[in-house]
Amino acid sequence: MKRYCDSLVIGGGIIGLSCGYYLSREGFKVQVIDSMEFGSGSSGACDDMILLQSKKPGVVLELAMESLEMYRFLHMELGCDLGFKQMGGMILIENQEELAVMEEFVSSQRSCGLNVDIVDREELRRRQPHVSDRFISSTYSPDDSQVDPFLVMKGFINAGQRLGMEVRYREAAVTAEKNGAGRWQVLTSTGCIVEAENVVISAGAWSNIVGGLFDISIPIFPRRGQLLITEKIPPIGETNLWSASYMVTKLRPDLAKVRENQSEYNELGLGFSFTRTAHGNYLIGSTREEQAGFKKLVDYRALEALSRQVAHIIPLMRHVHIIRHIAGFRPATPDGKMILGPWPGKEGLYVASGHEGDGIAMAPITGKLLSDIFTGRKSITNMKELIPRCMVV
Amino acid sequence: MENEQNRLICRCEEITLEEIIQAIDNGCTSLNEIKRYTRAGMGLCQSRVCSRLIARIIAEKTGKPLDEIVPVTARPPSRPVRIDIFSPRGCNVKNS
Repeated sequence: MKRYCDSLVIGGGIIGLSCGYYLSREGFKVQVIDSMEFGSGSSGACDDMILLQSKKPGVVLELAMESLEMYRFLHMELGCDLGFKQMGGMILIENQEELAVMEEFVSSQRSCGLNVDIVDREELRRRQPHVSDRFISSTYSPDDSQVDPFLVMKGFINAGQRLGMEVRYREAAVTAEKNGAGRWQVLTSTGCIVEAENVVISAGAWSNIVGGLFDISIPIFPRRGQLLITEKIPPIGETNLWSASYMVTKLRPDLAKVRENQSEYNELGLGFSFTRTAHGNYLIGSTREEQAGFKKLVDYRALEALSRQVAHIIPLMRHVHIIRHIAGFRPATPDGKMILGPWPGKEGLYVASGHEGDGIAMAPITGKLLSDIFTGRKSITNMKELIPRCMVV
Repeated sequence: MENEQNRLICRCEEITLEEIIQAIDNGCTSLNEIKRYTRAGMGLCQSRVCSRLIARIIAEKTGKPLDEIVPVTARPPSRPVRIDIFSPRGCNVKNS
């Protein structure tokens, strides 16, 4: 059997579905295929944040801010609830060294137009009465928001289908070649050949495996994250939370504090995130593990480390139950920026992937930018930092 | 029939028979997929109660034999466990 379309999107996670939807909106005939099931990859094993505060000033922060603006109105466009909420976010600061680093970081973000501030101990207590006394201050941004990734994916699917988009799960790309007319012929695991003018690879952490079918090497690798999910409880603070120690480790490695369990911290890449879902469960994160490959497993060491960390920062949480411990793969790139645009030397092949931990936040803007590239509204010379680049993994 | 459709299948997340059937009609064919699509099984019991009911609904709707329906992915802890059980040193917060 043979199917025809303008654009074949390989990967049906939140990024692929966003690309599919925005291309459909421009009138392209789009088919999305995914080797796995709805929500079975990273879009279903992540937290739900549109976090602006963690972004370094520059293209990533600018796009995140634009993406947030799109999310504010996306439910109207897609015609369904997306669980969008703007709870704000705070990054907890434990000592003067961290404070100095965060003050500098916050002022550079403010100069990019981000609404963020450093607040004193008193305001921290007022907004977060259950956070341990050891924290001396905190950042605060009212703009940090969240959505339910499953609802966003369903929204893109349903709205896309109304525009003629076709989505097929459990259908993998097996081989790819060009025919005499220069169109892609992609053989799939169901025995179909899909003929398409353009192919978009949006397979997240698995993008490089798909890239192999097209004889390209995409510098995206899986970085495992483990999260704990709690029972539903009432809100215990005004905003979602992170800790500055992790940000400081990234921004100023020389200041990284030596801990009791340093090797464990390094191996697990432990950082603190604490977010309340639209449904009332808290998501407690997370690890950043380089060596796990595609092993979608959780381990007791991480469970213990994440529990100890949250009990240390929010003592009240000791009394709350964990109902599930999950793992997922962030699609990471060597320079920490997503890859978006046409692949050099391969006509009709595009990559939209490598968002690491920002896939949920960046989904709308990614699909929109890709459709702008397709229609020629956006010249890729304005996006030098994102277009596929040669990097050593 | 209306009552039948409103019957709760997943009590933790309050997901009705109608929502499960809608998910199957929209192409979901596995327990994991229905869980991600509807939230059925994401609650306190982690699908211990509803997964057999949903497996039967899938079997009835799709004709797939019951014993070919793969169980949902199991993750620890096997029942809800308080955080302080996992963080013995966290109990004495001042010294941790």
